[in-house]
Formats: sequence, C-alpha cells, structure tokens
Amino acid sequence: MTQPIRAILVYVDGSAQSFAAARLAVVLAHSFGAELHSLSVVNTRALSDLVQAHIFLESEREEYRRDLEGDVERYMAKLQEMGRRKGIIMQVHKAAGTVSMEIESLVKRLGIDLLILGEVAEIRSRRAELFGETERAARNVPCSVLVAKDEDRIGDLYDSI
Amino acid sequence: MALIELIQESLVKVPLTAAHKDDIIRELIEVLASAGRITDSVAVYKAVLARESLGSTGLTDGIAIPHGKTTAVADLAIAVGVAPAGIDFDSMDGQPSRIFFLIIAPPDKSGPHIEALAEIAHMVQSASFRRAMLGSRNAAEVVELIRGD
Repeated sequence: MTQPIRAILVYVDGSAQSFAAARLAVVLAHSFGAELHSLSVVNTRALSDLVQAHIFLESEREEYRRDLEGDVERYMAKLQEMGRRKGIIMQVHKAAGTVSMEIESLVKRLGIDLLILGEVAEIRSRRAELFGETERAARNVPCSVLVAKDEDRIGDLYDSI
Repeated sequence: MALIELIQESLVKVPLTAAHKDDIIRELIEVLASAGRITDSVAVYKAVLARESLGSTGLTDGIAIPHGKTTAVADLAIAVGVAPAGIDFDSMDGQPSRIFFLIIAPPDKSGPHIEALAEIAHMVQSASFRRAMLGSRNAAEVVELIRGD
C-alpha cells in the first residue's frame, strides 16, 4: 500500500482551535511519517475591505498590517517549537492576501493530501457559514480535509508521542 | 472568530440614551464595563478618542463603528447600541448615526479585531439589516438579528 498521507498542511490563525489543529497535525505527521507544513495568512484582503468601507484610514491599514505581520511571526515561531519538541520538522509558511485563496494555492503548490483546520464555533450565523474563509477553503481544496475537535484529547495525543 | 461568539445581550443597549458623540462613546464603554469586559474605562475612552481624532468613525447610512486599541483589555470586546432618534457623530454623509458598534482590542490581537470589523462591515451593507436593527425593541432582538443575518 502506498503511504496514505504524505504531506499535511495545517492552517493556523492564532486561535486556540487552530493551535489544537497544529498539535493534531504533529501527531498525524508522526504517525504517518508525513511531511508537515503550516500556513498563516496576513489577511490583507480584510484590511483592504475595511479601507474601502471607510472603517479604516490608510494609516490604520499600515499599522494593522504591521501588527498582523508580527502576529504571524509569533505563530510561526510557536509552531516550529511545537514540531521540534516532538522531533518533527514543521515547515512554516506565511502568505498575505485572502485566507481561503492562499490555503488553496499552497495545497496545490505543495501537493498536500490532507488539510487540517481548527474547529469552528458551534453557534454560527448564516452569514458566518456563507462567508467563513476556512469553510470556503474546505469546500475548494482538492485534498481531504480534517477538522480538529476535542482539544483535551488532542492535547493528550500530542503529549503521548 | 465569528462576531456572534462575542455578542451577548449584556453587551447590547437599546435604546442608547446619550445625545452627544462623546456621551454615546461613554455609554457604550459603560456597557462593556458593566458586563465585566473592561476594567479601565478611562484608558478605553482615551483609546477611542485617539482614533476619533484621526477622523470620525461615523460612516454612512446611520452606522458608526468607534474602535481603538489598548492594553486595558485582554481580549477583543464589542458593545452594540441603537439610538433610534440618531445623534450627530460627524458622519461621512452628514446624517445622524443610529447604530453603533464599539470595538476595543488589545494591541497583540489585531487579527480578531480585523475579522470582527470586516464582519460588521459586511453586515451593515444590508439595508434590511439596518432597518431591522432600528426596529429592535431590546437587546435580545439585536442579538437574534446578528445571529440570524
């Protein structure tokens, strides 16, 4: 049998749920002997939308962009450490743009065969269902998608390897 | 983080009673304080005023989204208010503002701050949503509207 999962991508937006997804990704990469990648996105699309809607001033766009860049750098360092602690090399990727499009693009470019996403909130509005970027990515990527749930169990799995 | 995860009835005030821009901001900050979302109302007020000094957050169609960043909050905090009579908020179209979203974020959590703003920006584009908000009689109806939009 060929290796079922060769390359895993986890999307991390800084939420607790996305870091749980990253821990599960480390566990699965360890189990399958798969390559492991993470992606964090500076959501410049949202910034542009806010300027267009006159909610942000141009000066705010730049200020928030710098903040977001800093956030992503912190996530990447944390993710690398998360992998390193378990002897797994996590290749961290950073992009800027629209979240769903950047996820889809990286999945295709790296030949990812499993995308892992953090759990979405239980209570959602119809709007969130329609416009959620990770939900859109899940619909559009050509690979299988796994939604990580049960942070406690994932934590135990991560600790056990 | 979806906006609906942040909005609860305790964070909504209908109707707002203040009649002036600064007082509306204070009233919304008081909503956050009463709900236990902030501990330093003065620092939050200063952060909002600092942003307002760069340009009013009163938009068009009766919407205002005052916002600011401060270390006085640990997590993103949002208060919603409706002032059916409208108040002068130095809005872009010169019309009174009636629907208010106050958003306060810590400096190290810009991602959720931007997501919340983007979600509100999308929501308030809808004329029917704005009409329904103005027709809301209480906080529960506002929460239901945001949840069901």
